[in-house]
Amino acid sequence: MIACNCIVQAGQISAETEASLRTFVNDFAERHFGTPAEISWMAIPEKSGFTAARPSTSSIISMRANMPVSQADRETLLRELCSVWARETGRSLDEIVGVLSDPMPN
Amino acid sequence: MPLYLCNTAKGAISDAAKPKIAADITRIHCDVTGAPAKFVHAFFVEEAAAPPIDGNTAVLFGSIRAGRTDAQKARIISEMRQSIHTHAGIELDEIAMLTTDVPAAWAFEGGDIMPEPGEEAAWLARHEAAPAAE
Repeated sequence: MIACNCIVQAGQISAETEASLRTFVNDFAERHFGTPAEISWMAIPEKSGFTAARPSTSSIISMRANMPVSQADRETLLRELCSVWARETGRSLDEIVGVLSDPMPN
Repeated sequence: MPLYLCNTAKGAISDAAKPKIAADITRIHCDVTGAPAKFVHAFFVEEAAAPPIDGNTAVLFGSIRAGRTDAQKARIISEMRQSIHTHAGIELDEIAMLTTDVPAAWAFEGGDIMPEPGEEAAWLARHEAAPAAE
């Protein structure tokens, strides 16, 4: 399983969009890493999320790969992940943060 | 990135205190590192599974770009804990904080791989010349 932490702002993503994003993330993990995603979904309560000290509209998607990823591949994967997230949520890429980490060292 | 995620016991930080602490977190991070404010995310949750509270009243977990010195991290931790103490009234010894380094090359924000520490100005100039679409 590919660990994926999704942090969103409560009330800014509908249940339907959340379901679509979960499906996409799972599919993304299977296509690129050959195994489903283990998704941890955290909604930041209203009045509790800030970006640049102002109320936040940001989503943060953090995924840990199961194999080392080249920087060229990482950029391609993050661009896909964040672009789809932006499209599904109707947000701009300025409001999406993606992180793709290498596996934890043994 | 950075992301500062504050997990507390229920009701430990009021809604009135959160924007004050978030403003301090943003200012402190920018003062210490020189990073632009637009990169700084400060989120508050209660009784979440992570980051673990481990018997404290509040824990602040900072995911920051790798490359900061130990002295910078120590100042960030000291000043941010003090901000929570000041605005939320939580005793300092009940506020835990730790940071973790994330390579800038692993993070994507604003439609681009994040800049290495110290390379923000060129990144911002490039980014503002071609704003992220979608």
